[in-house]
Amino acid sequence: MLREWQAAFAAQLLTDASVSEKRLAIHRHHVASSLARALAVSFPTVEALVGAEFFRETARRFVMQDPPRQPVLAEYGAGFADFLAEYAPARGLSYLADTARLDWALNVAFHSPYAGRLDAAALATMTADDLAGLSLAFAPGVALVRSAYPIGLIWKASQPDAGDEPVDLARGPARVLVLRQSDGASFVSLGEGEAAFVEALDDGRSIEAAAGMAAAAEPGFDLSRAFALLNTCEVFAALQH
Amino acid sequence: MQAAAAGIGLRAPHLAEIDRTRPKAGFLEIHAENYLTPSPALATVERLRADYEFSVHAVGLSLGSAEGLDAAHLARVAALVKRLEPALVSEHLAWSTFGGRYYNDLLPLPFTEEALDVVVANVQRLQEMLGRPVAVENPSGYLAIAQSTLTEPEFLAELVRRSGCRLLLDANNLHVTAHNLGLDVGDWLDKLPADAVAEFHLAGHAENDADGETVLIDDHGSAVRAEVWALFDRCVRRFGPRPTLVEWDTDIPALGVLLDEADRATRVLADAA
Repeated sequence: MLREWQAAFAAQLLTDASVSEKRLAIHRHHVASSLARALAVSFPTVEALVGAEFFRETARRFVMQDPPRQPVLAEYGAGFADFLAEYAPARGLSYLADTARLDWALNVAFHSPYAGRLDAAALATMTADDLAGLSLAFAPGVALVRSAYPIGLIWKASQPDAGDEPVDLARGPARVLVLRQSDGASFVSLGEGEAAFVEALDDGRSIEAAAGMAAAAEPGFDLSRAFALLNTCEVFAALQH
Repeated sequence: MQAAAAGIGLRAPHLAEIDRTRPKAGFLEIHAENYLTPSPALATVERLRADYEFSVHAVGLSLGSAEGLDAAHLARVAALVKRLEPALVSEHLAWSTFGGRYYNDLLPLPFTEEALDVVVANVQRLQEMLGRPVAVENPSGYLAIAQSTLTEPEFLAELVRRSGCRLLLDANNLHVTAHNLGLDVGDWLDKLPADAVAEFHLAGHAENDADGETVLIDDHGSAVRAEVWALFDRCVRRFGPRPTLVEWDTDIPALGVLLDEADRATRVLADAA
């Protein structure tokens, strides 16, 4: 029966075992290498940090452990950062898993819709009390990635056009806000107060409550400056009426 | 869609250049699975619709799955087709999903009556969902499946008769399959229903040495080879000029190189018209 035949065939694809049928090895090789290439598209910074060969082998091992569940490969790899955190051959690169989290957040943002951003003019007509009590939702793709390492600097140093300047790992921690702009995904680095503000808003707190939490996290927190920065980056969704 | 000018596979490294320079091409073909998210790439494709006809080529519907089609994925592909209104929609005679896992490969089917029932049902479901016929492509073959009771062209001919689908004849895949499995190309072509061919594909392949035996690998990583150009010429003479696509997916060259390949295909189509 076709179902049983396909089950038996599929069982021979994601395996390390040597198979006598070398033609089957063509399919097994294609499954592993094409999925590794797909992961390299979504995790370019990780690939730049470890090199193509190490990445290919790492990705192949991930594919065997956690193969895709559906055919849209841009949506494959949500578990790769956690996999890297536990991956013994990469243990020397303590920042690798967090860099993968940044790559993944950028990938998610790139594939998120760009529409319906907050129009700051809509806020100008509100009373101060209404404004303070307002909750703001984030646009699709917006994500805060925190790390003990300077992952924003590591990302920049890994770009093809970057110089050879080494990154000082002591320049962490990083709070990187990933966002979807009209032509792609990008990120901005936030201060501790701004990051706390974003997290509080994301929890559904009002602007006033979030600002209070931000000030507690960083005494010099400047609400109007933080709000202007975030709104310029188009991170807020349009108001729900 | 006009058969007169060959098209090219639209790939990410060429997207910005094509958007900026709008070179002449018969049509652009996209892989459906790369445009199922609202990315900037989809926005570019929507802009390009003003100047180009499109073909949507799916690679992950798994028409050969005994478990049937994945309803969620089918719905996403159908939404893309509705949005882009392409001139052609196609998929492969293969399976790529089993037991909730996606293998990202065009896996072979045993050509049996049971498999035919499965593929006919899956193609019919796809066509009902899209409200239009689709073209089904012959994949590259590496394995002769012992259980098969039909040949590939017999299987395709029956699929056309029972589902009303069209065929996408990939000349490179046919060349690769015939070499790897020792098939007679003339016999293969004679068994296909001549009026069912809706599109041709062309691409490059690699030669691998496996323990002294040459195996051809359909890697879409080089120019179309001389043997495949000769086979394409033969196909065009037998089935008539049809929309033709040049694919190049790995080691992707400069856009001009790909367009030159398409121009060469256009000349073959013109000579046969």
